[in-house]
Amino acid sequence: MKTRAKVIPLVKRPSPDDALFEIDGLRKVFPVGAFFLTVLDEVRFQVSRGELICIIGRSGCGKSTLLKILAGFIAPSSGKVLLNGKSVTRPGPDRCMVFQEDALFPWLTVRENVAFGLRGKGFSRRKVREQVDKFLSLVGLREFHNYLPRDISGGMKQRVALARVLILQPEVLLMDEPFAALDAQTREEMQSLLLALWQQLSHTIIFVTHDVTEAVTLADRVLAMSKAPGRIQQQLHIDLPRPRGRDQKDFIDLAGKLYAALR
Amino acid sequence: MWKKEKLINGPLFLPWIIPFLALLLWIIASKTEMVPGYLLPRPLDIGKAGYSYIFGETGEGPYAGRFLGDLGSSMVRVGCGFALAVLLGLPLGITSGRLPYIHKLFSNSINGIRAVPGISWLPLAMIWFGIGMKTTVFLVALAAFFPIYLNAAAGAGQVNPLLLQAGAMMGVGRVRGALAILLPAAMPHIITGLRLGLGISWAYLVLGELSGVPNGLGAIIMDARMLGRTDFIMVGIIVIAVIGRISDRLLMVFLRSCFKSARRLS
Repeated sequence: MKTRAKVIPLVKRPSPDDALFEIDGLRKVFPVGAFFLTVLDEVRFQVSRGELICIIGRSGCGKSTLLKILAGFIAPSSGKVLLNGKSVTRPGPDRCMVFQEDALFPWLTVRENVAFGLRGKGFSRRKVREQVDKFLSLVGLREFHNYLPRDISGGMKQRVALARVLILQPEVLLMDEPFAALDAQTREEMQSLLLALWQQLSHTIIFVTHDVTEAVTLADRVLAMSKAPGRIQQQLHIDLPRPRGRDQKDFIDLAGKLYAALR
Repeated sequence: MWKKEKLINGPLFLPWIIPFLALLLWIIASKTEMVPGYLLPRPLDIGKAGYSYIFGETGEGPYAGRFLGDLGSSMVRVGCGFALAVLLGLPLGITSGRLPYIHKLFSNSINGIRAVPGISWLPLAMIWFGIGMKTTVFLVALAAFFPIYLNAAAGAGQVNPLLLQAGAMMGVGRVRGALAILLPAAMPHIITGLRLGLGISWAYLVLGELSGVPNGLGAIIMDARMLGRTDFIMVGIIVIAVIGRISDRLLMVFLRSCFKSARRLS
């Protein structure tokens, strides 16, 4: 399989000339009865190749809408979204989304769910099987490959969701509060897993969350959004070495800054 | 824990209790002559009539040995009518469940026609198609269409949009999306529609065959009425109940062996 994501040594990322995703002047207006609600206004940012960005904001600030526009599920009212210089108009396997809720196909086993995106693309059965095995091992679900989604836990479901998009080797991984519904321990486990996978596979990740600790734990850069209309209010680079301890002074300082920005 | 599970499913004889009690009541009623024999024949007479109907040699008595022929022609009628209803109802139902335009286009007319009792079509169908195969197939198809259509529409309408979005982002095209996501996700509703449709098919088969066709399970019921043979009417009713139940099971077996979603979602 052709590797679409370019592998970049950890020391080099992220550099500003590697702009992969460009969002400029983005605006989204929803009609609400006789009025119009401006959900996003003048949103502008760039994402470099291999960067892990967290978009943080309180609920209702339009961060999920923003992610849906980036994925191509809905069209912006105005503004441009460029991936590799090309305009994004519809969903595609180069920008894969991990949803907050369970979006696995309930009639397919874990293995079949992960293989779904590879079907009908001209890969041999053996190739598909090998790839699925590889990605199931990466997320630690090899033994559960024959289970149905209803028989596994919430955390495991999100692992499957991760594996089924990683197998497509997307350029950008869009994550819409994927761990919000999990308990605290599982969430931390998933965060470490995501970081490990990111360091191994060098994807570009845009991670939406409302959890300050999660953002500071994960991100290279945090974009804080304001509410109604949603704008990028503040940008915060996080240069702490990983893994980041939650009780370090720098961590607490940065988290405090973010809390202030959201207030 | 095992004991508990067994209790939930119940012992094997559970489904037979009601038929058994009904038979017992019937035997008591006919033994004590509470109901005269020409209204409600004795179970033994029905057993005899049923035996001669199914296993008898032609010419031994009325309707003797006609079972296989009747069953064959009735099954062809139900099969054709039901297949027609599926062919029309499933695609139409699924598209109108997904596309508001199609829904608006059809919903008024379909729900209007649905309000007309099937029996009112019988006179018209007899004028259009004559007596026999065509009329029966028409009535069966018409009756089976509505539950299939409505349930497919409901099923397709309530499919979680996230599943379709997930498919789109994985690069799934429209055709594969419909076959590999929409159809399985709507499968529980579709199955309900198919089962209801097949059930009602047998009802309308009898209606179509009451119109005076020479053979078929419905025909024997009407014919036996003319001869005053309540025992054969009862035989016809019981045969249809049994065949209807068996065909429902066969439909489930068929769907389960063809579709993962039918196996795993219901």
